[in-house]
Amino acid sequence: MKSAAKLFAVATAFTMTAVQVQAGAVMDEIKANDEVICLVNPNSPGFSVPDSKGVFQGFNTEFCRMTAAAILGDADKASIRGIGFSDSMKTIVAQKAHMASRSITRTGTRDANPGMSFVVTTFYDGQGFMVPKKLGVRNASELGGATVCAEEGSTTLLNIADWFSDHGMEYKVENINDKSARMQAFFSGKCDVLASDLTALASDRQLAQTPNDYALLPNIISNEPLTLVARPDNVFETAIFWSFQVMLNAERLGVTSKNIDQVIADLDNQPKAVQRLFGKDSAAGEMATSLGLVDDWSYQIIKQVGNYEEVYEKHLGSQTALDITRDGTFNALVSEGGLLYPHPIR
Amino acid sequence: MKTSENSTNSTQTSQPAGAMQKWATQSKKAQRWIHSRLFRTPVDILITCIISVLLLQFLPKVLAWLTWNSVAFWGDPQLCSEEGACWPFLREKVRLILFGTYPFNEQWRPALACLILVSLVGLSFTNLLRLRSRVIVWTLGSIAFFVLMSGGNLGLIEVDSIQWNGLPVLLMLSIFSVIGAFPIGILLALGRFQKEDPVLRSITVGYIEIVRGVPMVMVLFMGLFILPLMLPEGVNLNSLYTTLIVLVFFHAAYFAEEIRGGLQALPKGQYEAAQSQGLTYWQSMRFIILPQALKRSMPGNMNTLLGAYKDTSLVVILGIHDIMATAKMAYSEPQWQQYGVEAYLLVALWYFCTCLCLSTYSRKLEATEFKAAK
Repeated sequence: MKSAAKLFAVATAFTMTAVQVQAGAVMDEIKANDEVICLVNPNSPGFSVPDSKGVFQGFNTEFCRMTAAAILGDADKASIRGIGFSDSMKTIVAQKAHMASRSITRTGTRDANPGMSFVVTTFYDGQGFMVPKKLGVRNASELGGATVCAEEGSTTLLNIADWFSDHGMEYKVENINDKSARMQAFFSGKCDVLASDLTALASDRQLAQTPNDYALLPNIISNEPLTLVARPDNVFETAIFWSFQVMLNAERLGVTSKNIDQVIADLDNQPKAVQRLFGKDSAAGEMATSLGLVDDWSYQIIKQVGNYEEVYEKHLGSQTALDITRDGTFNALVSEGGLLYPHPIR
Repeated sequence: MKTSENSTNSTQTSQPAGAMQKWATQSKKAQRWIHSRLFRTPVDILITCIISVLLLQFLPKVLAWLTWNSVAFWGDPQLCSEEGACWPFLREKVRLILFGTYPFNEQWRPALACLILVSLVGLSFTNLLRLRSRVIVWTLGSIAFFVLMSGGNLGLIEVDSIQWNGLPVLLMLSIFSVIGAFPIGILLALGRFQKEDPVLRSITVGYIEIVRGVPMVMVLFMGLFILPLMLPEGVNLNSLYTTLIVLVFFHAAYFAEEIRGGLQALPKGQYEAAQSQGLTYWQSMRFIILPQALKRSMPGNMNTLLGAYKDTSLVVILGIHDIMATAKMAYSEPQWQQYGVEAYLLVALWYFCTCLCLSTYSRKLEATEFKAAK
C-alpha cells in the first residue's frame, strides 16, 4: 500500500508512456475475452486471500465480481489475480489487466499518471495507534515519550513524525520491517504503541493471545481513501462507478441479495427509487443501453454480490475475525454519519 | 543314552548362560559407550545434564503437540485447539500450498509439470542416459513443462504466469537457474584461470567478485528494476522470467569459483601433457582438463546447488509466490490464522526430503569417484 510508495514511483516512472484514452476500448476487450482481469493483493486477510481452492475471497474481490456481474452478467467471470503492489501498477499501465481492487490509496501524484484512472473509493482507511489497555492511554495526544513500533520505510513513519511534532511530544521509533517480528515486539512490550492503518491494526489485534487486552485509539492521523483503479476508458470507468452506486443505493433502500427476488416480483408497489434502480424501462435500463451493460445489471450485482453492507459484514464485520466497526466511521452511509454518499440513479 | 542326556542337559544350561553372557557383555559395552561419550570429564557431565534437562522439558511437549494432543489428518477441524497440531488444516489447504492460485480444475497440469521436472532430475542421477540423450530429454521435458503450465494451445486453457505459484515455481526457478548458471560458471572460471588475456581476466574477476560481494536480495532487486531498462522498447518481461535470468547470473558466479578451485587443484603436468599432444586450448579443456576439474569441484558444486535450491524462497520479496509464500497464504484466511506452524512443517518436510536426496546422491557420487581414482 503506502509502504511501497517509493517502489510505485519508480515503477510508474519507467512505464509512464502517453497512453491514449479511448472510450470503450477496455469495455470491448472485456466483452471479447468474456472476462474481467482484476488485480488484488495476494495476501491481505479480510480484503483478499485465496481460499482452499486458490480462489481469492475478501472485501476487495467483491468489487471485481461486481464489475463482472454488471458487464458480463456473471460475477464468476472476474479473473481475480494476486499480484504485488508495484507489479500491479505496471500490469495496469502495460494494459495486461483491466482493473485493480487492492486497497490503493488515491493520492494526487498517482492520479496524475495517465496510464491509470482512480474511479471510486470503496473504503476510507486512516492511520491509527494500538496500545495495551494496561497502559491507560485513552487518546494519542497522551503518548509523549512512547516507543512506537512501525514498518520501516513507509509513509506510516512520516505521519507519526508529523503527529508527534505537531503535539510537541518526544517519541522513539522501533523500525521493524517483518510483520511477525513487529507483532512480537509489540506484544512482548518492547514498544508501547503499534502504528499502522486502522484495518491492519484490527487484524493485528486478533493475533494477540488475548485481543481484549489491546485497544485502538480513536485518533486517525492520516487520510487513506482506498480506491478502485481502472485502465483508462470512459465507459468502463463509468460502469464501475455506477455499479458501486447501485450497491450503496441498494443498502440505503434495504434491498439485499436475499430479498431482491421478492422486491422484483412486487416491483410496482415498491418506492419509486427502487423501481428506478431495478425496473425494465427505468433509469438503470437506460444506462445499460448507453454503457453496453447487461440489461438487468443492477439486479445481477445485488443478486450475485450483494449490497455494500452485506459485503462489508461478510468480510470485515462483527461476525468475522477482523471485526472492524463500521458504525460511526467514515465507511458508514452518509445518512449514518459516514462518507459513503449514494449518487442518484435516475 | 546317558551321554546324550548329558549333552542335551549341557546345551540346555549353556544356552541361557550364553545369552546371559552376551547380554552382560553388551550391557558392559553400552556402559562403556555411555561413560566414554557422555560422562568422561566434568565438562561432559555438565553438558549431558543440561541437554537432558532441556530435552525432558521440551520433548514431551513437542511430542504431545505432534501426536496425542493433535487432531488427526482425517479428523474434524472444529476440534482443533492450541494444545496440539491441526492436521485437518493441511488436508484442507494442501493444494493451495502446492499449487497456489492456479485454477483449481486445471491443477493436474502443474502436478504433471512438477512430476516431469522431478523425474528428469531423478533420471539424471542414474547412469541410464548419455550426455546427448540427456540434453534431448531435458529439452523435451522443459518444453512440456512450459506448455503444460502456460497452456493456450493443445486445447489447454491459457493460464497467466501471475497465477503460477507454489511448487512449480520453486522447481522451475531452482532447476532452470542452476542449469543455466553451470555452463556460464564454467566459462567464467576458464576466463579467470587463464593468463593470456588480462582484460578478459579482469572482467571475469570483477564480475565474480561484485556478484559475490552483494547479498542475493539486492541482486534480485537490481535485476527487477534495471533489467527492464536494458530491454528494447515494447519487450515486457514479467517478473517470473526476470527473476529466472537474475538467478542464473547470480549462481553462475558461485559455480565459477568452485570450478576454478577444481582447475587449480589439477597438477601442472596435466596442462603440459595436453599441450604436448598438440591439442588446441578448447580441445585440451574439453578432453583433459575440465573432466578432471569438474570431478574435483563436485562437492563444492553440490553445496552451491543446495544453497541455490533453498535460497529460491527469497524471491517472495519480488512478489513471486513459491511454496513458502503459498504456505503463508494458507494460514492467512481469518478462520485458519493459528495454523502457521503446520503449514511451515509441510514445507520443511518437502525441503528436507529433497535436500536429503540431493546430498545422498552427491555422497554416493563422491564415493564412486574416489574408488575410481584409487
